[in-house]
Amino acid sequence: MELFLGANIWEMMHGGSTHLPIALMLMSAVFDALGGVTRSDRVKDRFHAAGLFTLIAGTLGAFPAVLSGLILARWEIGGTGALFWHHVFLWPAFASLIALSVWRLIVRGRRSRTGFLIYLLAAFAAAFLVSAAGFWGGEVLLGGS
Amino acid sequence: MKRSVFGLEFIAGVLGIVVAAAVVGSTLGSATLVRTAIEKARAESAANGNQPQLSLIAAHGQKLYAVNCSHCHADDATGDEGPDLHGLTKSDERIKVIITNGIKGEMPAFGKKLQEADKEALVGFLRSLR
Repeated sequence: MELFLGANIWEMMHGGSTHLPIALMLMSAVFDALGGVTRSDRVKDRFHAAGLFTLIAGTLGAFPAVLSGLILARWEIGGTGALFWHHVFLWPAFASLIALSVWRLIVRGRRSRTGFLIYLLAAFAAAFLVSAAGFWGGEVLLGGS
Repeated sequence: MKRSVFGLEFIAGVLGIVVAAAVVGSTLGSATLVRTAIEKARAESAANGNQPQLSLIAAHGQKLYAVNCSHCHADDATGDEGPDLHGLTKSDERIKVIITNGIKGEMPAFGKKLQEADKEALVGFLRSLR
């Protein structure tokens, strides 16, 4: 029981797993943006494939990050101070990752230009949300006060 | 053709939102249920007069706490002049750094007074606070 309540192991797990979705979501948005501005169809397809796989990997990586974080925070989904702000960004970020993954997996290459532009805006918004959640998570664990 | 692509994108978007809402909603719901169950069990345990047993290290930390910290953080660590110390989310290392260096203008430094083992005992005691 102590394993599930003691902070150490979950702190390490959360610290280790949480960087995966942050980095992958950021890179997914960048890859897709590069795919959007590249002229060569072959390179364009490769960038979009990289964007899809980094998005899926980031979304899958978010699950252990969220679980270890919940255990670390003793199942608190709101909280106060830095923990509150961490959660304010975290839950929309988690939802965005899932929604974007579902959209990409269903639509695949059959997307319109307008649809892709909306997707790209949402992807960058998700990257911002994940990064902000990461920033406030750092404040929770390492902040001075 | 363009119309059907837009239709597919729209359906995919709606499905994405539904799946995301379901996953996040069930995560938040489950966490709330677990938290409520834990708090209920603790409240029942406290009502029955059961005090959680402390490890030897945490018991040593409890004594150190009473001498060094309770003046500001209250005897039961629920906070007085200093903050409530229950459910700290900072890392063990971070807590030890704060104990060692203090917080400018807010908390004195205990680096010279407490040995490394004492700080670990204090952290052990703080982690035992539920």
